[in-house]
Amino acid sequence: MIVGDLSLRELGKQLGAAGLAIQFGPFNLTIRSNLESFASLAHRLYEPYPLPGPGEIADFHVGIASPRGLRRWVRRQASFTLDGQSPFAPYTVEHAFPALEWGINWCVATRAHHLLMLHSAGIERNGLAMLFPASPGDGKSTLCTALIHSGWRLMSDEFGLVRPEDGMLLPLPRLIPLKNESIDVIRRFRPEAIIGPAFLGTRKGTVAHVRPPAESIRRAQEAARPRWFVFPRWIANAPLALEPMPKSRAFLMVATNAFNYEVLDETAFRLVAEMVRTSDCYSLSYSDLDEAVAALDELSNAVDG
Amino acid sequence: MASRLAVSPVVHGLVWQPWDDVYIVYQPSSTETHVFNETTALILKCLEQGPLAIEGIKDWAEAALGVAHGELATADFAFATARLQELGLIECLDETAAPE
Repeated sequence: MIVGDLSLRELGKQLGAAGLAIQFGPFNLTIRSNLESFASLAHRLYEPYPLPGPGEIADFHVGIASPRGLRRWVRRQASFTLDGQSPFAPYTVEHAFPALEWGINWCVATRAHHLLMLHSAGIERNGLAMLFPASPGDGKSTLCTALIHSGWRLMSDEFGLVRPEDGMLLPLPRLIPLKNESIDVIRRFRPEAIIGPAFLGTRKGTVAHVRPPAESIRRAQEAARPRWFVFPRWIANAPLALEPMPKSRAFLMVATNAFNYEVLDETAFRLVAEMVRTSDCYSLSYSDLDEAVAALDELSNAVDG
Repeated sequence: MASRLAVSPVVHGLVWQPWDDVYIVYQPSSTETHVFNETTALILKCLEQGPLAIEGIKDWAEAALGVAHGELATADFAFATARLQELGLIECLDETAAPE
């Protein structure tokens, strides 16, 4: 069963009662909310996501709701909650949806230490994964969105989840939060992409969420073998440059960008070293998405050939 | 008596990942990851085999680097050993001063 099998009314009832149980890759969540605007957006953007089977345990109990007490009368606000606690200051109610999305990422980043968590987008083709570790503003979400609308499967826009037992990359195909100019770039690049409303003036500027293609969500339990590390950087008017990167440098960039490298100690070192050793590593400068997609397709085709 | 250097007693089970002329080393006892150039890495590798006099280490490093005797700049060698001592990876066994 998927979220889309629920009517908006049923979804709203679940959100307002015990919570909507939903599965994002390896994580089960329950989401509670008393906000009508949130329910309608969740119904639309979470539509293809599966509901966990009966009896499955939730990893995170999150919520986005009007805070109790005086605050709710002074200014309309929304508080993100985890296990009933509010770890962050309230958001304006108009930003409830992105606040919940960030909150869920925060839950994963701070709690899922049974996995190595790279700060990286990831895509897959023919069982092989391409990872894009990058700093904010380097254009990884834009590039990742372009690629998953060009024949690649989304693994994750934010987390490279690596299973310590075998070094496989686990999918976490959540909504992709595009920011500022990237929103129109993707609207032009793939007009058919499903993009939610633009939230103006958030803590990260204007944000709009892209729903991954249904195929990526349907295959959210299929792991992939890391094969390439590509360190992207969007530079206005820059010519395309895809250049091999020394592995020592790639290792340092991957390790320093991981969410929990220090937490996992030697396991993290060995996993990152093995991934970098067995992957081709490149730096990518681009300004044109079509050129970048073609160049990365070529890497994949070369392996297939 | 010539000063001898040795790997610090708490240092064991170093995990090495060489790439080109860069060595990435994981130190389980401190959970730190170090990045060394070839000279520094070779000195540490040499001392993993047991304590050695400073001159002996330098000779060993020069041989491993494939350079002639005396060709490894004393300043570079001293910098590398000082860095390893600073990180607590090696120590001087004698009371005489560490190399300059």
